[in-house]
Amino acid sequence: MHELSIAQDLLEKVEENLGPGGVRVLRIDLKIGSAAGIVLESLRFAFEIAAAGTRAEGAELSIVSEPARSRCAACGILFQFDGMIGSCPRCGRLGGELLSGNELVLQSIEVADV
Amino acid sequence: MCDTCGCGTPSVRTIHISQRLLDSNAAQAKHNREHFAERGVFAVNLMGAPGAGKTALLESTLGEWRGSGRVAVIEGDPATERDSLRVRAAGAIAFQVETGLGCHLDARQIHRAFHQMELARGDLLFIENVGNLVCPAMFDLGEQLRVVVTSPVEGIDKPLKYPPMFRAADIVVLNKCDLLAHVSFDVEEWKGCVAAANPHARIVLTSASRRTGIDAWLGEIEASRRAFFGQERK
Repeated sequence: MHELSIAQDLLEKVEENLGPGGVRVLRIDLKIGSAAGIVLESLRFAFEIAAAGTRAEGAELSIVSEPARSRCAACGILFQFDGMIGSCPRCGRLGGELLSGNELVLQSIEVADV
Repeated sequence: MCDTCGCGTPSVRTIHISQRLLDSNAAQAKHNREHFAERGVFAVNLMGAPGAGKTALLESTLGEWRGSGRVAVIEGDPATERDSLRVRAAGAIAFQVETGLGCHLDARQIHRAFHQMELARGDLLFIENVGNLVCPAMFDLGEQLRVVVTSPVEGIDKPLKYPPMFRAADIVVLNKCDLLAHVSFDVEEWKGCVAAANPHARIVLTSASRRTGIDAWLGEIEASRRAFFGQERK
């Protein structure tokens, strides 16, 4: 359940960026690589618990899942895939060197004055 | 929005942030890595499922250790000091971190532990992570070498089912190789699965209980240590 650690870190970052004052967080935009090993449902659940009683309580988690990219170990082509591990579309070989897909980025937040 | 009559619209605005999550752990890990390098301590993060034989591997490592430095172990477990007692009995300096419901060690815990251990140049520090094939992969501790310990009873396909863990590894140890005669486990097929998750991982076969393969394992650690501190001097 590393999603709880991630939710807590997310909440700290949101709070840091809010500064003082009466605002409420409406939406949180995240970009998460598909190979990062994050279960989105678990993250949403953990965030709901972590955010209770804070200015981000009830905020919508808007998550863009970025496809991952690997280089095939057999034929060397670059290919995109969704999920934690992909197969080469040319030769069918599983896996390879992961080039991207581990992103875990807080992009922006939408806030309203209260 | 006006509280009295509801006129107007609430002022909604977007704050652009673009920050990586877990970067505070990454910053702490970088700090730990600097500490280790300054002190001349080589740190190895030992990960793997519960029961893979991480502690047994440490016990046999201590039994065969002929290096000049001492061997120290930070033990991470949800509960008990059992593993600390085991590696201490085998000759290690041990420090137990009880993680409670925490499913992994993080860089802050390692920083605190490191400052209580007074390690010296040439010491080898193992960090035995919480038994778990998922969460520890995401938390850099500042180690210079990452190792995943697995065993034939886990089946050949774990690298495909838990790719982030195997991707994170510099070395994958297949421990309990004495069981290969008793279980259905094709080592070559398993190596293919490891390579699919991580084409760069080095593979070592051991049996901690029979003390086989320990020379090769120590050789890999020593080679990694030389490579690291060699680089540091340049």
